Formats: sequence, C-alpha cells, structure tokens
Amino acid sequence: MDYLLESIRAAIELIFAFDQDIQRVVWTSLYTSFCAIALSATLAVPVGVALGLTQFRGRRIVITLLNTLMALPTVVVGLVLFGLFSRQGPLGNLGLLFTPIAMIAGQVVLATPIISNYVLAAVEGCDSRIINTALTLGATPLQANIQLIKEIRFGVMAAIIAGFGRVIGEVGVAMMLGGNIRNSTRTMTTAIALETSKGEFAFGLALGIVLLSVALFVNLFLNLLQQR
Amino acid sequence: MEPILCLKNVVLHQGDNFCLSIDNLELFPQRSYALTGANGSGKSTLLRVLALLQLPQQGIIQFNSKAKTITDKRQQITLVEQSPYLFKGTVYDNLAFGLKLRGIHTKEQQQRIQSALEMVELTALTQRKFDNLSGGEIQRIALARALALEPNIILLDEPTASIDGDSVQTFESLLTTLPSRGVTVVYSTHDRSQPQRIGSEVICIDHGQIVNGANARQNNTSENLKENTIWQRLTNVHEN
Repeated sequence: MDYLLESIRAAIELIFAFDQDIQRVVWTSLYTSFCAIALSATLAVPVGVALGLTQFRGRRIVITLLNTLMALPTVVVGLVLFGLFSRQGPLGNLGLLFTPIAMIAGQVVLATPIISNYVLAAVEGCDSRIINTALTLGATPLQANIQLIKEIRFGVMAAIIAGFGRVIGEVGVAMMLGGNIRNSTRTMTTAIALETSKGEFAFGLALGIVLLSVALFVNLFLNLLQQR
Repeated sequence: MEPILCLKNVVLHQGDNFCLSIDNLELFPQRSYALTGANGSGKSTLLRVLALLQLPQQGIIQFNSKAKTITDKRQQITLVEQSPYLFKGTVYDNLAFGLKLRGIHTKEQQQRIQSALEMVELTALTQRKFDNLSGGEIQRIALARALALEPNIILLDEPTASIDGDSVQTFESLLTTLPSRGVTVVYSTHDRSQPQRIGSEVICIDHGQIVNGANARQNNTSENLKENTIWQRLTNVHEN
C-alpha cells in the first residue's frame, strides 16, 4: 500500500513539476489524436448522414461492415498499415513508418467506423420532419442536410467524442506504426507501457492520471455544450 | 385569370400503393381552398405534392412563376404540417431560418418576424425556447414562420386539429385575411363548417381522387359521388 501511495505522490509531483518528458508525450498524444479525429470526422459524419438518409441495395451490408470495423483490434490495423508503410510495402517509398503521420492514419482507420455508426444511429433516431421542414422553408437539399446535422449536433458530438476516446487510449497502432520513439512518436499509452515495464511506475502513473484527466475534460466539455 | 398552381394528369404511387390520381386541379391566386375528405383519402399527400416535396411519377405540376429551380419554386410555396417541427433554438431562430436562406438579414428580418408574430398574437414568445411551447403555440408559430416568408401559396395540413377553441377562432380569422394580402391558401380540414366560416372553396378528395371542387374534371360519375355521400353533402352545403 505504501508503495502505491508513494508512487501516486511521486506522480503528482512529476505532473506539477511540468516534467518535460511528460509534456512532450502528452503533446504527441493530443496532437496525433486531434488530427486523426478532425480527419476522421470530416470523412465519417457525411458517410453516417448519407447512410441514414438514403436507401440503396447493399445498405445493410455496408452497415454490418461498419459494425464489424468498430470492433477492429488495434494491433490488426497496426499490422495492415505496417505492411503498407514498411519499406517493402506499396507505400514504403513515402517513408511514413514510425512517424506521427502513420499513427494518425492508423487512428483514422480506428475512429471512422465508430463515428459513422454513431452518426448513423443519430440520423435514424432523429425526427423525420426535419428535412421536409427545411425544404418547405426554402432550403436546398444540401442546406436541409446541414440543418439536419445541426439538429442532431449532440449526437454528432457524442460520436466524435467516442472516436476520440478510442484513439487517445489505444496502444497497438501507436506502438506498431509510431515505434514509441522518444520526442517523436511516444504517446501517453506507449510511454505508460514502456516506463512501467522499466520499473518507472510513478512516471507511468503520472501519465495515467493525465490520460484520465484528458478524458474527464473532454466529457465535461460535451456536458457543458449540451446544457447550452 | 391564370391559375397560380395547376396539376394535370398527376399520378402518385408509394411502393405498391396507389396514392393520388388527379386529372385536373387549378388553384387561382388570392383564393382560399379547403381540402376535405376522410382519413387516408390523400389530403396530406396532395398537400405535399402541391408543396413540391413529393413529386408524382406521372403528370404535370404547373406553377405560374418565374422561378426556375425547384428550390426557387419552393421558396414561394410553404407547407405547415399537421404537427409542425420547430428547430432547436428560440422562436426567433425558427422564424429567421427561412429568411436567412432568402438573404434577408438585420432590420428587415426583425420587422418581418415581429409582424408575423403579431399576426398570430404571439409576440411575447419571441425569445422562448422551442421545447417550452404548447401544441397550439407550436402550430401558430409554425404559421408565423411560414407567413414571415411572404409566400405566394401557403398550405396548411389540418391547422386547427390540435388547438383549443379560442386559438381556432384566432387562426380562422387570420386565414380569412390572407387572400386579401395576396396569399393563396390551401388547407385540409375535418371540420365541416370551417370552409364556410373562412369563406373557402371546397375540394373534396376521396381515395386519392378529387370528387368535387376547384375545376376538377374527373371521375365525377354518379357512382363515385354516391359512394361519398358525406363529402358530397358537405360540398353541396358550401356551394349552396
């Protein structure tokens, strides 16, 4: 018990000492996760809305595929993209392996099905009168769809937050595509795994506390928006 | 006088179900029309077709306007549904929505919103949130939202079905004045005496077909009319 309490005390000291290693790791995590979520949301929100509003042959298959991709193991995504980005792979000449860009690409693959599915659920659950009301007030079909997204904005935000939760806490993609390189691709999760295995439990714990705090702040932000 | 909106040989199916078959329907400007008929007779579908929200598989919809695109045409025809949807936000936000789409901002926007809310006697609710309104208030705000756009044609699906007696009177008084303001009004109703109170021409619809009214020239065989005695009587009462 003393060991645990001592580690927590040391972890808090490290956080409030603004340890540079911790700052870099936190920055890399936030930077890659936010970039991945911005790209993923740009792609996934229109896909979710389109799937929710249109009927076409094979729609159920696409939805089943998206559901399956939601449960995609991170190491599998890491493995497939490793094959693409490695020197012998088709995209090897781009030299992206073990860079933040490769990590972002992997995280986009992880987050896109989650955001699409959540947005799809929000569209399917929304009031069917929204589009017709917007159209009869003079909106173009595009403006009516934008209005629909505004009306389900909390559902869309929840989708984006869920995607963010998935990518900020994942280890597989960050480890396999980033390589856990100090000052470059080391994220909170890979650093926790590494430092704990080295016996630096307090350092790992400090990063764990920061990771939890980020999750807490993101959810608080969502709650604040919903109350407005 | 040229009709403002005209349906010719319009046929609409939804899936395998037959919905609407209108040989000829002419609506003239600055007049008021009441659509009557039993539940499921096709009144709401006809209103959606007139609002250009549901396009028929066959036939022609002629709209006497210079508007070229369907969105431009829709900007001159506004439908208020039986249970209207109000967007999240305040009453003001809802009334401003269509005005913003037409590029009407600042002072003119405020004036139009104020004037529309005065017409439905709800100026006190300008900043009220959408989820803090009664059914009758929602109905009147939806009408104000349509009126603020100053459309040529306003379509109302059973506008007084969910509102109380006093509000019905207010609503009917307002509908009576709209044709003199240059608006063509088409509304559906189950209230047999409402067309008379508002001074509307009656269009009687049954099984997706017009059986009497508004220059209808179709299927008015004696057999058809006999099948629809209630609505025939209603039409006759009005016409007499």
